Amino acid sequence: MSASSGATRRAPWVLLAPFLALFLLTFLVPIGMALVSSFTKVTRGGLFGEAGVVTEFAGLDNYAQVVGDPNFVASIGRMFLFGIVQVPVMLILCTVLALLLESASAKWPGAFRAAYFLPYGVPGVIATILWSFLYVPGLSPLIDVAEVVGASPDFLWADTVLWSIANIVTWSYTGYNMLIVIAQLKSIPVELYEAAKVDGASPLRVATSIQLPLIRPALLLTAVFSIIGTLQLFAEAQVLQRVAPAIDSQYTPNLSAYTTAFAYNDYNVAAAQSVLIALVAFTLSIVFLTVTNRKSA
Amino acid sequence: MSPLSRRQLLGLGLGASAAAVLAGCATPGTTSVNTLPTVPPASGKVRLEYWAWLKGIDRVTELYNRTQDRVHVEAVFIPGGNAGGYQKLYSALAAGAGPDIAQVELRSLPEFLLANGVVDLSRYGVDQYEELYDPTLWNQVSYTGGVYAIPQDSGPMGMFYQPAVLDQVGAAVPATWEEWAEVGAELKGAGVLMDSFPLADASPFAAYATQAGASWFTAEDDGWVIDMTDDATLGVAAFFDRAIDDGIVTTAYGAYTPAWFSAAADGRIASVATGSWGDALIEGVSGAAGRWRVAPLPTWGTGYASSFLGGSTAAVLANSEHPAEALDFAVWMTTTEEGVNALIEFCGIGWSPARDVVGTLREQPSAFFSGQNYAQEVFVPAVQESSQNQDWSWWPVTQQSFNILSDGFRGKASGGTLVDAVVQAEKDIVAVMRNKGLSIRKAGA
Repeated sequence: MSASSGATRRAPWVLLAPFLALFLLTFLVPIGMALVSSFTKVTRGGLFGEAGVVTEFAGLDNYAQVVGDPNFVASIGRMFLFGIVQVPVMLILCTVLALLLESASAKWPGAFRAAYFLPYGVPGVIATILWSFLYVPGLSPLIDVAEVVGASPDFLWADTVLWSIANIVTWSYTGYNMLIVIAQLKSIPVELYEAAKVDGASPLRVATSIQLPLIRPALLLTAVFSIIGTLQLFAEAQVLQRVAPAIDSQYTPNLSAYTTAFAYNDYNVAAAQSVLIALVAFTLSIVFLTVTNRKSA
Repeated sequence: MSPLSRRQLLGLGLGASAAAVLAGCATPGTTSVNTLPTVPPASGKVRLEYWAWLKGIDRVTELYNRTQDRVHVEAVFIPGGNAGGYQKLYSALAAGAGPDIAQVELRSLPEFLLANGVVDLSRYGVDQYEELYDPTLWNQVSYTGGVYAIPQDSGPMGMFYQPAVLDQVGAAVPATWEEWAEVGAELKGAGVLMDSFPLADASPFAAYATQAGASWFTAEDDGWVIDMTDDATLGVAAFFDRAIDDGIVTTAYGAYTPAWFSAAADGRIASVATGSWGDALIEGVSGAAGRWRVAPLPTWGTGYASSFLGGSTAAVLANSEHPAEALDFAVWMTTTEEGVNALIEFCGIGWSPARDVVGTLREQPSAFFSGQNYAQEVFVPAVQESSQNQDWSWWPVTQQSFNILSDGFRGKASGGTLVDAVVQAEKDIVAVMRNKGLSIRKAGA
């Protein structure tokens, strides 16, 4: 009896072991290493370190260096601006698409759903290459058409390139977020629609009084994902860099950490940058959730 | 499975991850391979790995392998330099792995030195080969009494131009930068650009400054001496400030970008000052055959006839188990008639680093460039020791310095100047060097 109860006690751990091992090795250990690394400093004497290499505890030196780097701070500010504009635009767009596709009068909703979701299947790097052909002067048919009517848009200059990236991100992720919202819409009980019908509610009234309040959790989820995704923006900026001189090596926080680690070989400062990015994403998500919860309470 | 062995397994897993944590906590690149004993040549079979981004390098290694019964060199493609290749190399080095040989640009070599990533080849008898190589390039792989790579390709600068476009304004080929600006002003009247000036890439600027006689970094006994604000550098910066303000050059795109190719094909851009490797790229401009020629780089009042733009080395990396064999291959590839010809034919290298082997293809006139024998006419004189700045040395934070410079150059679009950007960059670079613990002082201070 006692042996079998011991087995019962062990069973969950045995079953969890594969997950825990991977979680530990690929998640907790790297985070721990990044934290340790961010508090370490390597100094090299002489011309190339031939006079000795010293590894020591740095305290907050690396963090001070990161916060004191105007380009890194600017990259976080840039992502704020990006998020404040792009996330609402994308969420409104995906909600409207979801409501339209779930309305009773929608034709071929399945086909449209697949079509809107399709861009998500295109990897970010490929999507950026595709879009860059529409952005580069001399290649872009969009610019050629605009020139016919006397406009000369520049999609890649300092003031515009951020919105060119926002466009790619919106194109890629709207369909994905739409699918999350649709899933939530499908879980609304049919009785509510029937009751609304009996009361003579218009489709617009159904959307504002039933559907929107009930898909709130899905919208909150997609909003948090989008905020975190914005701070992690990397591939689009890195690929577009080849054709857009305005994108520097620290355009987004992640690009900055990547450059510091693997182009400048400064793993310790890169670790400090990564920890700060994670902290900012964490704080933003918490603030967002607190604010939205307070409103609903 | 018994509970005991399960517990053992768990303990093993925890132990392994704890060991990984401890090993991982040592910041990579803090021990030097060049203080360990040298590795003697192997007696059995040897397999070498060579990571490079030269296209067709596998055909060069194949040629070598055919001459060998013991050594086999395997070519592995990596993305070019900072486009991802170095990132790959650094992370491999950090993991205690990586290839035996890697393609590393001349300018990036000191960064690999700083990361303890390359083998000092003077410990493997490389000095006997010194006389085979171009002295300017040999200078750029030699640091603090060691030799850290074998030069494999370079790019002496010249000016590629479209004669028909210059003829539109009846201009002769400019021999000095002053004349270049005059021709540019005339072309501007005809709606044609003289050249482009990339704000996002500081390397052409550094090459112009080198040509004018600048020497940004000097290694002294007491540490690095920085001098980026000398007359030569600031003169070049002011010159291109004017050229940009006057609309002689565009900053909207750099050479060999899609927008540039489109402008070059339409005759909207007259010339490009670039490394000798530009020939292969210009052959990619649509309908360009017979429409381009090559002239020597225009000169400043001071300084030298030419400069090197780009250029890379074959470096033996720290984790190689066979540095001696790796060195033999690198020397074969870059100094034998067979190796150089293969590098030119299959990889399209800009210029051979060997003093006496130019390559068979480069001894003949080029059909594409209207029968001009530009290699002999323009580039052979450009690589002479007297044509090149022998005092130029790269430094351990070159890439970061170039990024700092180009970040400053981008300010040109919003009213800044290149001169201010250079002055500010010098201060920032000093801070970067000091943060790494390296000793550095301003020239004359």
